[in-house]
Amino acid sequence: MLRASILRARPALRPIAPVARPQWRVAQRFFADEKNLGDTVVPNPAPSVTPSNPNGPKPTVIPSSSVPKTPPAPETGRSAPVAQPATTPPTGPGNASIAPDPQAAKPKKPKRRLRRFFFYLLGLSVFGYAGGVWYSLVSDNFHDFFTEYIPFAEDAVGYFEEREFRRRFPGRAGQPRLHPQISGENKVTIPSKAGVSPRTADEGSSDLAAKGPHVSAVEHNTQVTQHAEQTPKPKKETPAPVPAPVPAVASTPAKPIAQIDHLNTPAAGEPIVQDVVKILNDIITAINADNTNGNKYDSALEKAKSELGKVVSDISSLKEGLSKSAEEKIQAAHSEFDTAAKELVRRWEGHMHEQESHWKEEYENERERLSKSYKDKLQSELDTANKVYEQRLKNQLLEQSISLQNNFTTSVRDRVEAERDGRLGKLNELSSSVQELEKLTAEWNSVIDSNLKTQHLVVAVEAVKSALENQVTPKPFVSELAALKEIAADDPVVSAAISSINPTAYQRGIPNAAQLIDRFRRVAQEVRKAALLPEDAGFSSHIASLAMSKVLFKKSGLAVGQDVEAVLARTEVLLEEGDLDAAAREMNGLQGWAKVLSKDWLSEARRVLEVKQALDVIATEARLNSLLID
Amino acid sequence: MADETPKPTAPVPKTTRPLSEALLNEKWDRCLSSFLVKSGLGLSFGVVFSVLLFKRRAWPAFVGTGFGAGRAWEECDNSFKRATTPSKDGLRVIRP
Repeated sequence: MLRASILRARPALRPIAPVARPQWRVAQRFFADEKNLGDTVVPNPAPSVTPSNPNGPKPTVIPSSSVPKTPPAPETGRSAPVAQPATTPPTGPGNASIAPDPQAAKPKKPKRRLRRFFFYLLGLSVFGYAGGVWYSLVSDNFHDFFTEYIPFAEDAVGYFEEREFRRRFPGRAGQPRLHPQISGENKVTIPSKAGVSPRTADEGSSDLAAKGPHVSAVEHNTQVTQHAEQTPKPKKETPAPVPAPVPAVASTPAKPIAQIDHLNTPAAGEPIVQDVVKILNDIITAINADNTNGNKYDSALEKAKSELGKVVSDISSLKEGLSKSAEEKIQAAHSEFDTAAKELVRRWEGHMHEQESHWKEEYENERERLSKSYKDKLQSELDTANKVYEQRLKNQLLEQSISLQNNFTTSVRDRVEAERDGRLGKLNELSSSVQELEKLTAEWNSVIDSNLKTQHLVVAVEAVKSALENQVTPKPFVSELAALKEIAADDPVVSAAISSINPTAYQRGIPNAAQLIDRFRRVAQEVRKAALLPEDAGFSSHIASLAMSKVLFKKSGLAVGQDVEAVLARTEVLLEEGDLDAAAREMNGLQGWAKVLSKDWLSEARRVLEVKQALDVIATEARLNSLLID
Repeated sequence: MADETPKPTAPVPKTTRPLSEALLNEKWDRCLSSFLVKSGLGLSFGVVFSVLLFKRRAWPAFVGTGFGAGRAWEECDNSFKRATTPSKDGLRVIRP
């Protein structure tokens, strides 16, 4: 029904369905529809696509492919079943026309497909290339990407950019924009030999190709050894004739002349004579060496020798004369010196005597003068000492008189003072006793004051306590606490105790014991529900815990154990006993959900305990104050 | 007397935080309501689908209800699991 309404609601489909594709209505089925085709499809039994396969035409397909080439042309074969009018009855199975179609198309298909593929590929790449070029002209970012990664893209894009540049600046059409980088014209080439090059100054040895020590060190060595071998040869030849004539020359004339020479030597004590003898000897040796002369110079030499002897004798005689005259002269000089010395001594003695007498006189004079001056000095010093001594004596006398006077005055004053102190001392005693009395009264006053204060404090504390205990519902007790603080005024203990109370406590009020127990019972119910929950409990375990907690046995009294039920029972007992502290401790030992649920109650209990403790402290302080006074 | 003295501390702000013992109950309430709402939504979706697409079969309605209930269960489970662990909002987590 709904389907029909949907179909009716789509007016665009309605005219098309029956006219163009009569089988469309049949094909439109819902997945939920049951396939009772036999009932519904009767009115329009058009040939559907499906019958080709399931009716078992396979045996007929094979012969039909092999046998007929006569049936219709391949172009029309494909569209034949679609164009077939709906009214024509199905002439047989209808696959006779369909079957040959794929066989005829098969051999052509791959070619055409390949060609088409390439064609598409080419078209697509050209189109993509063109698009890329165009977009790179538009977007700089894409330009960079495109020119870097796509082959030949740089040239292509460059060409288009060049064209646009030319179009925009027709005047500069001849020179391309990027020519310095691309064309590379006007390059300056520097010749390789330009500039300064190093060269050695030695021109002669520049020919390195020639043989030399730089080529091989061995050859040079061999040359040197050859030179060394060549040189010794003439040396060996020359010394041979030399030794022969020397003994011959030396032997013949040397002997006769050498004896003559020795004759002159004993007289030659003088250096001059020795020199002359040496000269002569030299001459003789020279003549001896010259064997060509023979004994030509012998006579001359003999004469010279005699002459020399004569000269030597002359010299000795001269020497003797000279020594004699010199002795005489010396003796004369000695006598002369003796006389002169004697005279000198005599003169000196006279002079000394004169000097001595003169000095004696002077000494006497000087002594007298010194003794005089010392006497004067002594006298003057004695005078001054006397004066000083007298002055000192006078001073001492004066001092003594002054001290005597002072003593007298002090003694007089002491007497007077002693007399006066007797009366004034009594007056002082009186005034001090009066002061003590005043002090005593004042202390008593302060005692009374502090007593009053502590009394006020105690009263105020009691007022707070009663206000807390007599309330029906938790009420704020700010006013009572403020009064307490005002009374305590400057007591640090009280102010500390009050500041230790949580502000929530006195602004909201705290429950009394009964209210606390009441609330505990409510909390305990909830805690019991969550008693069996595991650590990280989900929904299912919550349900389980809820159900199972209904059938749990309740514990009572001081139960043993750490399970939730025991803890609750113990807490209740403690609360009923009034031990709030222990109860809070018990509840604090809970874990997990139980703790979470009892958190509020626990904090309330803590607040109550805090207030209680603070009030206790204040009361104790008041008591202590009252004790401390006396 | 109380009026004259200035208040020693700042007044405590009034919070609407539920009592701790009611915490679980509140969660239960929320769970139940979400269970009802979600399974109802699922059911209605299932009915609509069954009528539109599945020829008024019964199972889409059941499936829808199941989806709704399952979602409610999941949400509830999550809320219960998250409640015990203290929230870490505003705390920096330092991992080794």
